[in-house]
Amino acid sequence: MKRKFVVAASMAMVATLALSACGGSSDDAAEEGGPVTLSMSGWSLATTPEFQVLADGYMAQNPDVKVELKEYDPVNYNTLLTADLAAGSGPDIIVQKEVKFVSTFQEGGQLVDVTDVELPDDIGGTEAYDIDGASYAVPYRQDSWVVFYNKALYDQAGVEYPDGSWTWDDFAETEEALAAGLEGTAAFGGYQHGWQSTVQGFANAQVPDADILSGDFGHLKEYYERVLKLQDDKAQVDFNTRNANQLTYQGEFGKQKAAMLTMGSWFVATLIAQQAAGEADDFDWGIAPAPQYDESTAGIDNVPVTFGDPTGLGINAAVTGAKLDAAKDFLAYAASEDAALSLAEIGITPALLNDTVVETYFELEGTPDDELTEFAVSTHKTLPENPTSSKTAAIQNILLDLHTAVMSGSEPIGSAIDAAEERFENEIGD
Amino acid sequence: MATTTATEVAAQPPVSPAPPAVSGKRRRSRLRRRNTLLGWSFILPNFLGFALLTLVPIVVLFYMSLTNWNVFGTANWVGFANFERLIGDGSFRISVLNTLYYSALHIPLTFVVALGLALLLNNKLRGVAFFRTAAFFPYITSIVAIAIVWNLLFSPDYGPINEILRFFGMENPPGWLTSSDWAMPAVVIVSTWRDMGYYMILFLAGLQTVPRELHEAARVDGASTIQRFFNVTLPSLRPTTFFVTVMLTINSFKIFDLILVMTEGGPGQSTLVISQFIYTKGFEESQFGYASAASVALFFMCIIVTVAQFLLNKKRSV
Repeated sequence: MKRKFVVAASMAMVATLALSACGGSSDDAAEEGGPVTLSMSGWSLATTPEFQVLADGYMAQNPDVKVELKEYDPVNYNTLLTADLAAGSGPDIIVQKEVKFVSTFQEGGQLVDVTDVELPDDIGGTEAYDIDGASYAVPYRQDSWVVFYNKALYDQAGVEYPDGSWTWDDFAETEEALAAGLEGTAAFGGYQHGWQSTVQGFANAQVPDADILSGDFGHLKEYYERVLKLQDDKAQVDFNTRNANQLTYQGEFGKQKAAMLTMGSWFVATLIAQQAAGEADDFDWGIAPAPQYDESTAGIDNVPVTFGDPTGLGINAAVTGAKLDAAKDFLAYAASEDAALSLAEIGITPALLNDTVVETYFELEGTPDDELTEFAVSTHKTLPENPTSSKTAAIQNILLDLHTAVMSGSEPIGSAIDAAEERFENEIGD
Repeated sequence: MATTTATEVAAQPPVSPAPPAVSGKRRRSRLRRRNTLLGWSFILPNFLGFALLTLVPIVVLFYMSLTNWNVFGTANWVGFANFERLIGDGSFRISVLNTLYYSALHIPLTFVVALGLALLLNNKLRGVAFFRTAAFFPYITSIVAIAIVWNLLFSPDYGPINEILRFFGMENPPGWLTSSDWAMPAVVIVSTWRDMGYYMILFLAGLQTVPRELHEAARVDGASTIQRFFNVTLPSLRPTTFFVTVMLTINSFKIFDLILVMTEGGPGQSTLVISQFIYTKGFEESQFGYASAASVALFFMCIIVTVAQFLLNKKRSV
């Protein structure tokens, strides 16, 4: 009996110790000048090399700092990170995968104000991390939405390559022409993925004075009408078929089932890798700038307006002392030209896009080298997909319901907008 | 260790034949204490898990529903503000109505299909074990796989279901998951298909307990098959039907996984159910206080309906 008690008691102790070891993680601030270890979050490390590239680049310049990566599941990244932060065991450097979570973390007091980190002048994407005049993260990567086009299918359809002067009406006209030229083949004129951003992202960024925080969603109307017409005319796969068959944009464009694809610039690296691996067909492709709301921003003598969210780095509010200095230094490095060059080498569009960086980007094998592609990658005014606000997540969900209702054809756009505006009044308010 | 103790206990008769008065009393109280401890030790592992993973979170949930907690920082007390907001929230109202709609279709349909299957497979047919297994299969299949396959089957233009309907001359077959009118019935079809095997097993177990003599007596009295079903089988099955109805109701109110993987509440809000409303508010919009309030509302809905069913059952048994 006694022996049983001893065993039970010691097991309970072991369990308690193990549990408490799961708790607090941040080790004590390193002593001044001593070696510092920073932990940084990341996802899919095997297929997403950018975190390791940043860590290696910084460690090469700062031998007394060690940057360790902490891997998270990409799908549940923000949920898992939230749980870790709430438990006090979050990483020191927090990669901001989605801009809409920045305000959640900031309001929860989880992020350090990093306004004092020095950034290069021409870096893009900083406004996404601006809350009440202070900065809570530093962008290192900035993707922008562009049009990918398949030159072989263009030739086959007998349609001229884009020249960078498109408005959305020109784009729709071209897609119809491509569909007509490709009739009888398995290819469509274009492919539009199911995400709400494929329609709303452009509308929110391009329509003058559009602001989803105002609760006025009328600006979405003409963007939806255009897309619905393309669906009806069978110039692109319709939303319902896309959902039922779980189509992927990589497959549709990579296997030449669509002559055009509106997508973020992250797809460049994927497409090159898939062509090299034989997962995608081998064909010539190029990139055209995003079609514009009207002619005032269209053409290669203008700066086209598009959208895209940056990916940035924030610092855990629990980090202090010498560790905080090192973390800020790391953020400054991630935004620097050195880091931008190493990111460009692996096919990622850095937040800092100067001539040297663009040149490096196009040195990557498999990248198209025509002038329009270079223009599209290097010249654009990229606005955040969503404003940084605590209301953004809820508004996005309302607009997602609008998107599925309209695109599936179960509700006309006019009444869907009215319903969304009503829900805004009811659920978001002031 | 437990085995030795159990054997010891079993070896000791609960009441010794003629014990000396005092020591017998002491022994009996020691025995009772020991039995109690033994009982506790048996349920302790399960209870610990339950307390740690269910009971404590539920108690915390009630507290959180009265705060504006958003994961981080302190949870500020807001009284019943979350519940007031719920009452005025149009999306929550839609989710409640959709949940009731789902339940109204799913409960009777699954009940009838599962009972029908059980009656059919209660006969001594050749290969009955195979059919029982086949009917149970959907229940143990991965929900994500189910969703992907049914999505394909329901595809409005190219899906086999609509192909068949067109073959039989229906000109405009439903849009199923793509139509706000048909999405919920489509989900109900899939969930009935998935759940029927499980409830069939429960009914099969119930059917084994129906006394054979009653059937024979009824047959001798000249009762038809249908009369025997309604007057012998169904009344004898009451404990099972009660259990099945209660479980079906609670599970229908809690429906979440199938909706999330099949429609995500869409198109629009046509299949938004309470559990998904809670998930969206909590995990997507970080309003955990508000999501907790919605969970409490769902909890009470389940409790009220279950209590009502218990009372009804009691009244009927009397």
